[in-house]
Amino acid sequence: MPDTNIYYVGVDIGGTFTDCVAVDDGGRVLHAKTPSTHSTTPVDGVLVGLDLLAAEAGVSTGELLAQADRLSHGTTIGTNLVVERKGAKVGLLATQGHHDALLMMRGAGRTAGIAIDQVYSVHRTAKPVPIVPRGRTVQISERVTANGDTLAPMDDEAAREAVRGLLARGDVEAIAIALMWSFRNPAHERRLRDIVEEEAPGMFVSVSHETSPRQGEYERTVATVLNSYVGPASSRYLDELASAVGERGLARAPFIMQANGGVVPVAVAQARPLTTIGSGPAGGLAGTAFIAAASGHSHVIATDMGGTSFEVGLVVDGAPLLSGEEVLDQYTFQMPHLDLRSIACGGGSIAHVDPHSGGLRVGPESAGSHPGPACYGTGTEPTVTDADVVLGLIDPDMFLGGRMRLDRDAAVRAVQRVAEPLGLSVEEAAAGIVQVNSFSAATLIRQQTIEQGLDPRDFVLYAFGGAGPVHAFAFAGELGVGEVVIPLGNGASTLSAYGIAASDVVRTFEQECRVRAPFDPAALAAVVAEVEARALDALEAAGFDRERVVLERTALMRYAEQFLQELPLELPRGELGEAEAQDLARRFDAEYARLYGEGARAVFHAVEVFAIRVTARVELGFAPQLGQDGAGPGGELTSDRQRDVFWPGEGRWVATAIHDGAAITDGATIAGPAIVELPHTAVAVPAGHRLRGDRVGNLILTLARS
Amino acid sequence: MAITDTHTDAPVLPDAHEPGFWDGRLRSYIPGKTLALPENLALHDSTAADVDPVTHEVVRYALLAANFEHSALLQRLCVSPITMLTRDFQTSVLTEVGDLVFLGPNLQYFSNSHSLSIKYILEKRAASIGVNPGDMFLSNDPYVGAPHQPDTALLSPVFIGDELFCWVANTLHYSDVGGSTAGSFCLDAIDTFQEPLSWPPVKLIDGGRIRDDVFELFGRQSRLPGAVEMDMRAAIAGNEATRSKVLALAERYGADTVKAVMRNTMDAAEALFVERLASIPDGTWSQRGYAESAVPGDDAVYTYQINISKQGDRLIVDNHGTDPQAGSINVTYAAFSGAVLAAITQSMTSDLSGAYGGVYRRIEFRPEPGLLNCAEYPAAVSPSGATTTETQLHLAVCVVAKMLSCGDDAARELVIGPCIPHWYCTICGGVDEEGTPWIFPNTNGMMGALGGMPERDGVDAGGHFWIPEGLANNVEDIEAQFPLVILYRKLLDAGADGAGRHRGGLGFVEGAITSGSGASQVALALGDSFAKGVGPFGSNPGTVAPFLVKHGTDVLERLAAGEIPGRVADFPGELRPVEAKVAPFAVGDGDVWEFVFPTAGGFGDPLRREPDAVRADVEERLLDVATAERVYAVLLRDGAVDAAATEDARRAARAARLGGREPGDEVTAPAGAQRVGELLYVVDGRWWCNGADLGAVTANYKDETLVREVRAREIAPEFAVPDYAHEMADRMVFREYLCPVTGYRIDTELSRADQAPLRDIVLAT
Repeated sequence: MPDTNIYYVGVDIGGTFTDCVAVDDGGRVLHAKTPSTHSTTPVDGVLVGLDLLAAEAGVSTGELLAQADRLSHGTTIGTNLVVERKGAKVGLLATQGHHDALLMMRGAGRTAGIAIDQVYSVHRTAKPVPIVPRGRTVQISERVTANGDTLAPMDDEAAREAVRGLLARGDVEAIAIALMWSFRNPAHERRLRDIVEEEAPGMFVSVSHETSPRQGEYERTVATVLNSYVGPASSRYLDELASAVGERGLARAPFIMQANGGVVPVAVAQARPLTTIGSGPAGGLAGTAFIAAASGHSHVIATDMGGTSFEVGLVVDGAPLLSGEEVLDQYTFQMPHLDLRSIACGGGSIAHVDPHSGGLRVGPESAGSHPGPACYGTGTEPTVTDADVVLGLIDPDMFLGGRMRLDRDAAVRAVQRVAEPLGLSVEEAAAGIVQVNSFSAATLIRQQTIEQGLDPRDFVLYAFGGAGPVHAFAFAGELGVGEVVIPLGNGASTLSAYGIAASDVVRTFEQECRVRAPFDPAALAAVVAEVEARALDALEAAGFDRERVVLERTALMRYAEQFLQELPLELPRGELGEAEAQDLARRFDAEYARLYGEGARAVFHAVEVFAIRVTARVELGFAPQLGQDGAGPGGELTSDRQRDVFWPGEGRWVATAIHDGAAITDGATIAGPAIVELPHTAVAVPAGHRLRGDRVGNLILTLARS
Repeated sequence: MAITDTHTDAPVLPDAHEPGFWDGRLRSYIPGKTLALPENLALHDSTAADVDPVTHEVVRYALLAANFEHSALLQRLCVSPITMLTRDFQTSVLTEVGDLVFLGPNLQYFSNSHSLSIKYILEKRAASIGVNPGDMFLSNDPYVGAPHQPDTALLSPVFIGDELFCWVANTLHYSDVGGSTAGSFCLDAIDTFQEPLSWPPVKLIDGGRIRDDVFELFGRQSRLPGAVEMDMRAAIAGNEATRSKVLALAERYGADTVKAVMRNTMDAAEALFVERLASIPDGTWSQRGYAESAVPGDDAVYTYQINISKQGDRLIVDNHGTDPQAGSINVTYAAFSGAVLAAITQSMTSDLSGAYGGVYRRIEFRPEPGLLNCAEYPAAVSPSGATTTETQLHLAVCVVAKMLSCGDDAARELVIGPCIPHWYCTICGGVDEEGTPWIFPNTNGMMGALGGMPERDGVDAGGHFWIPEGLANNVEDIEAQFPLVILYRKLLDAGADGAGRHRGGLGFVEGAITSGSGASQVALALGDSFAKGVGPFGSNPGTVAPFLVKHGTDVLERLAAGEIPGRVADFPGELRPVEAKVAPFAVGDGDVWEFVFPTAGGFGDPLRREPDAVRADVEERLLDVATAERVYAVLLRDGAVDAAATEDARRAARAARLGGREPGDEVTAPAGAQRVGELLYVVDGRWWCNGADLGAVTANYKDETLVREVRAREIAPEFAVPDYAHEMADRMVFREYLCPVTGYRIDTELSRADQAPLRDIVLAT
């Protein structure tokens, strides 16, 4: 092992597993998967994972960390705090008369983020437990109007009394300040923050014009409150992590992954923990984008099928798509994040027979990891994973690399529960479960592509996650896609950690504006200049040279008053003149027509730029030579190992070759029917399909032309 | 105008009318059991015999998804905020003869609207202008299938070969389709000739070619032709895309298979509904509700009534007891039946996610024409989307709740709370500083409130059961568009309004002033003189929702001094008398107005509310300590329930109800007793309540209870209204029907003072 190795380390803490990846500059990728340790401190699991990585690298943990260029980390701590309601006790300071916005949730709190087929039901929908109870909300007498004028001034002494009253409760652990129109005129919010800092030094405080400077008091308040809600615990955790890895030899403070697909230094993440919520899945899409670039794929549909959900994100022209609106536990807020859509469809999805129609339904109920599929030994309901075991797609003795033994008899018994009422054999029922589940997955992909004006045939489908490569043949076949990439083969189940390791520093800054077509270039340029100045100042304050910061500008556009629309269009660098302004209007027209059809374009409605988003990026350098050490044997591979698999498309047991994924190197191919076993998943290759390795280390499944 | 109802005899089921009686011209269109179809119209009605369960599920899911995607596409493409935010639109997939297969997750009272229009087209157009591949029909005729004129449907037949395979359709609430009032809610219409034109089904697209003559004609009647035409193009695109998906599905799996899945989906829904009816005894349940002023200036109070009878495995719905049609407070059969079907399916089968067609097979309507809720031509109906249709939803969901509350525990759990009886809103408009006209239909009522339920409280600002995903505006989004400042928008305090064993969800109040130097007016406002929302089995009514305006206040000076007003009532100033339905009036500097979106009715007697739930509301600062004691007789000490003091206070409150007599304890009902609602049972053919005999089940138990009656504005201080509303308010009384043993409320009733107690539960004997 040469001393000159430089490691890029990525750590992704999930609900069940903590994944660690180290990539060295030679391109070697090391993986470790270890149970998460949420019950004590998640740092324990991280340290175990780092030890496993070091062992695989043949060095000590200290050596690994000392040789690391950096360690980047994605955490679900923020999401967990919210979902489990274990965050800080937040006191909210809001404009008098509008203090109930957070409770009223625009009337949509009962159904926001709920699956579309569930929203009909009053019985099964409820508003979430309040993040801030009404009793910890304090009304501040002040009012700013839409143009930033002060309609009612804030009396600082009255405000101070209100803050003291709140603090006197004795249970406030963090403060959120969200006043009306503060992003137009932040004077009251700033003074209020000063007052809070004087009255409660050291208190975690979020102010809305900084946390989420967007129009719409409900969503801005949610963002601000969530930031404070997760702030103190996230901050403590990040300190603990930073000192633990620092003590073990990491020279540079860790970077923290955000939902926007980039990392930030610990100090920034501590002030803006909101941006880290949802960072794990974003890591998967960031990893996809990185591998896609190395593989020459500019358009990618990234799919992640895990135990409970199926997530889809897109890479277009090499970049993952961003979205603004996010819903967490039925609370809606605005925060630029990688656009990932999800449905309840995964290995744990439960199959049942609709008693009246006799149809075979799968999901949306999931056995999750507790009790889990019947074959885990604790559950009894038939799940997709049980169907996989019954069919032979998954080897019960080789699950998680053989570390967990599955109970095939339990799976058979469970699937029997749906097979019997349907008059099917247990294998037929299992095949049906896989088909129905795959159809749901394919429908989501179709909704994210064809329904958005994109043709999936222009995309390469990537399949990862524990249950993705097993079922890719089925949902890709349903879509008519010809090729599926299992990114990094063995690494497909730790792709998020890989993406986190590879990510640059990214921060997004936004500002509302109201510039209507025909666009005044000076007005656009003024907003852009202001946001860019803010971005550069912030990155400099975080320790980066201004010269290293690369800025990208995006105009968020819509027809005036189309408040549910957000069409992002990139703005060119350099000066914004008349030509650029006219071009922007033309591009909006073209993009709108492409997305929604020529007939949808409105000739009577004004087009407007309603916000400018600036993405500030600092490249951290990630230049490992992707690919494998030397070409493998190449050519057509065969295997001595065989087992019978009941292939859903064929409806019969077929003797099927079993391969070890590690053997499929660049240029090697296998012909279906085959099962390729990877440490944490398996790739199913039906008859007529082929699988080959490429130079990047991906496995490429080529579907039979049907 | 109003008739006195002394209707205490057992309702006799009305007869069904002869075919052709419901003609769609004088009377609403109601199709007969078999449709009169021309012989040259080839229907695809064959089905595959054995569809395997996997194919079945794949095809079902694909059809469901196609309908969801139709909805999503419309929402993205439409420019009307009413479509975009309030989800006042609907999509559906229907069989070849127009029976519903899937209804989208949008406005639920469009339930059978498409079905009615399609059946009308098949009966009245197929033989003349023809129903052919590539056609689309447009209709907004309330006497055919539209709830009111802005709700315009586009109906598209789907052919496979030369056989009519199925239909796909959408309805959008178009922003303005003409009529006397901007926005097309014509409160002052005395008949439909002051309203937007009602279009019986006309062919908009003929064999794939858009008919420009019809398209332009439809746009011509609107004040907002650009928006209307844009939305119409979205509607066309939505139908085309969905038709293609259905055809692709039939191509792949076979038309007979897809049709088999449609039929089976309906059969399954029907079977589920029959199963859920099983534990409910045969009988008839009724609910009355009220409107004030048929047109501005009218001072009468009008009665609506909905009756649902269960006979074995089906329901029969009628409207007897309703007043004759009047002014603009009517609906036709389409809105009436649509609202009733929505209340039934959302209560009993919402787990079918819109696959409701099979349920409809078991529900028969036998309305009487010429009444407010099944009006004859040319009655005006255009404002009903904000008024009368919501009233029907409210009545219907209350009737269904009473019916379900006579069934087993599983049936009782299906009860959803009463909804809000009007769509309280304002429309403001004017000209801004730059001379640009503006109009703001305030749809913040989307905030909503769900009523109390048997197992839980209603939901504060919980939306509406009949429009699952509606979204209110942000205040900032309003102020960005219009020269208004919304001074406050906050939850109503919990109080006597909506109080119950499970309280109603809280509504909200919103107060506004103008900003800038333009000219502004309030063009439409709805206000109450008395509460109209009620809740079953002993709850208080929901909030009385007056519309309050004060002219010439010092609001701007107060604001400049840093004072934010709490409510309009806090200001000195001249209170403008605003009746239930008003003519437009100007507003300017110094004027403040507020509208109330009421707290919903609760469920059960407030004195039976869990004291700890009262404590929790106090802790959440939704309710104050004094009100907790006054309304619920719950006493708190240091934030905890004082159990002994509460017990004493509650006993005293019950004694007061009994006229000072010491109340008895609750008595467990004998084995085999049939429970009716909360406290009432049937034992051996007699009404029974805590051991008291309330007469034969063939009579009205209310006659044997202890009855207390107060004026509607004197139920509690929360129900007080301004002086100018007293005359109207005093036409109404509130009655408590009390258990003579315990003093608990068996039920309550908000009634016109001249009406006898309604016999609202009639069980078959």
